[in-house]
Amino acid sequence: MSTNDIPLVAEAEAKVPPAVTRGSRMGKASRQTRGMLVSDVVLIATLLAVVAMVLVPGWIAPYSPTEFNPAVAMMPPSWEYPFGTDEFGRDILSRVIHGARPTLVVAIAGAIMGVGLGTVTGLLAGYAGGRTDEVLMRFMDALMSFPTLILATLIVVMLGSNPVNVIAAIGIVFWPRSARIARAVAQDVAQRSFIEAAWVRGESHAYILFRELLPGVLNVVVVDLSLRITYGTMLSASLSYLGIGVTPPTPAWGLMVKDGQQFIQFASWMVIWPCVAISVVAVAAVLAGERLRQILAPTERGN
Amino acid sequence: MIELIIRRTGLLVLVLLAVSFMTFMIVNVLPGDVTAVVLGDTASPQQAALLRERLGLNEPVLGRYIGWLADMLRGNFGVSLLYNVPIAPMLAGRLLNSTILAVLALAVAIPVAMGLGVFAAMHRGSTADRVITAMTAVTFSVPEFVKGLALILIFGIWLQILPGSSLLAPGQSPFSDPAILVLPVAVVAISMLPYFVQITRAGMIDAFASDYVRTAILKGMPRHVVALKHALRNGILPAVAVIGMTLGNALGGLVVVETVFSYSGIGQLMVSAINARDIPIIQSTVMIVAATYAVGNLLADVVSIALNPRLRP
Amino acid sequence: MTIAMIPMPIAARVAPTLAVEGLSIDYGPVQAVRNVSLAIAPGEAYGLIGESGSGKSTVAYAVMGYLNSGRVSGGRVVLNGADVFAMGERGLEAVRGSVVSMVFQDPMNALNPSIRVGEQIAEGIRRHAGLDRRAARKRTLELIGLVNLPDPEAITLRYPHQLSGGQLQRIVIAMALALEPKLLVLDEPTTGLDVTTEAVILDLIADIKARSNVALLFISHNLGVVARMCDRVGVLYAGTLVEEGRTDDLLQRPHHPYTRGLIDAMPSVTAAREMVGIPGRLPDLAQVPDGCIFQDRCVLATADCRHGVIPMETIGPGHSSRCLRWRSCATELAPARPAVPRASLAGMAPRLEVADLTRDFPGAPLFPFFRSRPVVQALRGVSLDVREGETVAIVGESGSGKSTFGRLVAGLDRPGGGRILFDGRDISALARARGRDDQRDVQFVFQNPHSALNPHHSVEAIIGRPLRLYLGLRGRALRERVLEILTAVRLGERYLTRAPRELSGGEKQRVCIARAFAANPKLVICDEPTSALDISVQAAILQELRRLQRESENQTSYLFITHDLGVVRQIADRVAVMYLGEIVEFGETADIFTAPQHPYTEALLAAVPEIGRAEQANRRDMRLEGPLPKPTNPPTGCGFHTRCPRVLGPLCETMPPKQSKAEGHWLKCHIPIAQLRRLQESG
Repeated sequence: MSTNDIPLVAEAEAKVPPAVTRGSRMGKASRQTRGMLVSDVVLIATLLAVVAMVLVPGWIAPYSPTEFNPAVAMMPPSWEYPFGTDEFGRDILSRVIHGARPTLVVAIAGAIMGVGLGTVTGLLAGYAGGRTDEVLMRFMDALMSFPTLILATLIVVMLGSNPVNVIAAIGIVFWPRSARIARAVAQDVAQRSFIEAAWVRGESHAYILFRELLPGVLNVVVVDLSLRITYGTMLSASLSYLGIGVTPPTPAWGLMVKDGQQFIQFASWMVIWPCVAISVVAVAAVLAGERLRQILAPTERGN
Repeated sequence: MIELIIRRTGLLVLVLLAVSFMTFMIVNVLPGDVTAVVLGDTASPQQAALLRERLGLNEPVLGRYIGWLADMLRGNFGVSLLYNVPIAPMLAGRLLNSTILAVLALAVAIPVAMGLGVFAAMHRGSTADRVITAMTAVTFSVPEFVKGLALILIFGIWLQILPGSSLLAPGQSPFSDPAILVLPVAVVAISMLPYFVQITRAGMIDAFASDYVRTAILKGMPRHVVALKHALRNGILPAVAVIGMTLGNALGGLVVVETVFSYSGIGQLMVSAINARDIPIIQSTVMIVAATYAVGNLLADVVSIALNPRLRP
Repeated sequence: MTIAMIPMPIAARVAPTLAVEGLSIDYGPVQAVRNVSLAIAPGEAYGLIGESGSGKSTVAYAVMGYLNSGRVSGGRVVLNGADVFAMGERGLEAVRGSVVSMVFQDPMNALNPSIRVGEQIAEGIRRHAGLDRRAARKRTLELIGLVNLPDPEAITLRYPHQLSGGQLQRIVIAMALALEPKLLVLDEPTTGLDVTTEAVILDLIADIKARSNVALLFISHNLGVVARMCDRVGVLYAGTLVEEGRTDDLLQRPHHPYTRGLIDAMPSVTAAREMVGIPGRLPDLAQVPDGCIFQDRCVLATADCRHGVIPMETIGPGHSSRCLRWRSCATELAPARPAVPRASLAGMAPRLEVADLTRDFPGAPLFPFFRSRPVVQALRGVSLDVREGETVAIVGESGSGKSTFGRLVAGLDRPGGGRILFDGRDISALARARGRDDQRDVQFVFQNPHSALNPHHSVEAIIGRPLRLYLGLRGRALRERVLEILTAVRLGERYLTRAPRELSGGEKQRVCIARAFAANPKLVICDEPTSALDISVQAAILQELRRLQRESENQTSYLFITHDLGVVRQIADRVAVMYLGEIVEFGETADIFTAPQHPYTEALLAAVPEIGRAEQANRRDMRLEGPLPKPTNPPTGCGFHTRCPRVLGPLCETMPPKQSKAEGHWLKCHIPIAQLRRLQESG
């Protein structure tokens, strides 16, 4: 299929059968990946720092993110202003710290909304099959025919440029993509005999959906969610870079880059630091997703 | 095979209809009065009424949709609210510029990605493989504008070997100064790479683990024949199948990349139209991008069907 | 252990084509193969028997120098005088496909799906013999003719998915024979195939062997196949060669408890005898136990068997056993018992009555919401009854519709026409639409136990579910009943909290059976319940099913769906033989197996390879040729006439009459019963 939205990196390894098909053993490598690694400590520290920036930016940031201070405009990084200042003399470090919330809250909320909608849709389509599946998935196809950023932009512009609508836009954009993944897994699980066993027993659809099917899909949904948060960060940053969904003086990272770009020739720190923040968060989220996938990977794949 | 292609084409028509309907609805029917969106809150009722008249908002929705669709199919995209000129000619030049960008990027990305993917799969678990995998994860998770600005900083400002802006005079062909294409093409290509690399790698790893590759080895075929003849044929099929989708994501990315580099393509037109609330342009650009995406998907499907003998009866 | 202790058979005194000397292979910590030695002379066929986890495939691939992630920790493989592990990559490439070649288990996956089969044969010829395209092509056509495929020109242009399993296996054989190798390794070459196809492929391999001087290494889990094909046999258990000898000698007079156990576990089509499973499970090969590898499952084991190295002892000419107590095998192991004849159930009330059942599957439409394509006629008017306490087997090859039938009775699907009566009530509805009692009374045991248990539920939750659902049991009463059932399927309390992934295949199937029996059903549909299991486990599961039936309060009936005629013979009271969506013959088991009437039944039985079956019983005139007709367009009249060895002519294109042979035994055929009998006797 042309449109399967495989989470990056994820599926790649999962599909590969172990080199030894006979005899059951758990390789050294896989045992290792379940334990704690040094890189995990770094990863967790980074994520904790990001969480703190989202929850209590005021406790960490040395200056106000919005107060003008023309006396120190466009200062290069120094001990006093580690990340430098912008054209209004605002401390970039403080703005980056305060920028976490407007950038990430919409990303996370949007991802949760999209994955939630997608999981329900995908489960239904994958379980019901037939006409229901056809209708639901054609609708999802239509939604997917819009490139992500364009659909999100359209929705925000038409609904009104505010954070709630950005969340809705991100949610709607992710909906069909998560639905495809949930459907693929649900279909896979639905083919297994224990679903038929439940049918023969005369179980209700609700029991089969939630007790038999859902547990098998949940792992993938969790991994999908962590990846969607990464994409959501990209999307929310890109939207704010285009000036959509946030208004100055909100220190959203994308907006900071957009405003700083005109000074890039002689005050590159105005662009570099928010870019670094975006990159660190995105990479941390993608790595966290990858680790989650390793930890949640089933120990036995059955046949 | 022909049957499958007919089937996909039929679906394409359905999907395009749905897309056009959604585009139309999003712009015309969603909450919020369009006139308020276009004119802002300060507009007088007379202005609003005039605009409603001009956009034909007083007619029934379905009739308007059909009329709009018929116009689109005839190549009549309406008149820009902002510039007050017909949209079609304006679109044509922009579309060409964007297509140049996308096609060049695709031409760079596909061979590079497949090469990297195949290489990583053949040396699975090696340092090179891990570096490739890590690089794709990082480049994938970073937004286009960050990648674009990083390249501008490095090559445009610090090294000063490539222009950091790709501004074109109206009517100027991007090929008149190929240097301005380098950075935008690089950003789009880098954004396409990770997905391709990962899928190629996964497909090749599957192929290498398959029984038929074992058969080829046990037939005494040398390594390169096993890899290039037996594994590659099947291993790259999944990657071919997602070319269409990657193209679509790249089109979305174009909006950002064109803005970063001030490159006058269809994405930049769209952003300025959005900022100016120029509804006819928004509709046309969205429709064109979505249609391109859908057709690209279809072409990729047809190619992968043609390459895959299993889909022949 | 040196090979000197294994006496070479006469034929092997000439330089052997293959000598495996003390071979040991590890996968990480797992010592998959340990100290295996064997030799194969030119023209000799050597069978290597083993169940899953025995390491037989590892040995087969090691012979070709292909180790995958394995590591040779000892010994060597000498092929045609050269040490395989010393060859290096180039050397192996030169030898593979020319000196030694392989026939694979699963031909569909073994061939490259994107390359025409002709090219897949020809590329090896070009590579090794240095022929140009034209010469290689000529040789390819020759080979395709050699494996009895019609119209070689057209076949070469096909892709694998366009050919049937039997045709593909012939292509694989042609590929293996292309360069007239010295050694042919066959890794379960007929395992995925239908029994009639298997017979034809085995004929082909036997012919090849008779015509050339190629040595065969034949890997199989099926004693019958090995008995038919091989001159000598080695028995592999958990990576150790436990017994070796001439085929008839070893299979008639086994001198290792494991070999004996395997033979006793084999279901037989020729005689009804009690099948006995081997209790216990494979040892963990990451910590190989001291002493005999089979000690934990052996009834003869003594203290001596638990330490030291057990040597391979010669017990007769060319026959050796790795058992300290091989002398006791013949005397102390209980002889095979004939099956206890079951009382006739002729007078029992009918429990399930099925009349004129049909089911069509429409093809996928070209466009969504458009006209459908031709329908697959899965069932074309099936009538059948099952009595209280009775086991009725439905036997047929793939595509016969037997599984569809089971699914309809279970309520997994709705029939297109006809009627399903259960205790006189119509249950031709989906399971969900049936009454609670009908749901409770009709249970299902699935083919693949690995997928029939939800990996996220515990054994207790799985078995308890029907009890909660049907009987409303909760708390202590629930737990007690679950325990009771667990004990009944010979799993103890410690299994309660286990997850399915912690169970072996046999244990999983026991849990499935426990779930089916939890709420005292009246009818259990078993859809190939043992086909995913090893023979020794299969026997135990079948024993269990019979015991549960005997002990059930409700006179539980079984509808037993299978392709395995041996299993049918051992478990069924009556048999229905299905072909292309119809029952062609139905009657008492003993009756059908001793005097098959319908030509299809006869062909099926003639195809089964079995120990002790004389070569003349291998009735080549009863082989089924030609492809199975398309279920979208079945032949008119008798569905079997396109492949029937006894076809009369145009008469067979009309509906055959239903002839009654005896009470409750009927068949659909144009040939009168008396004449069929004469034909069988003269054949």
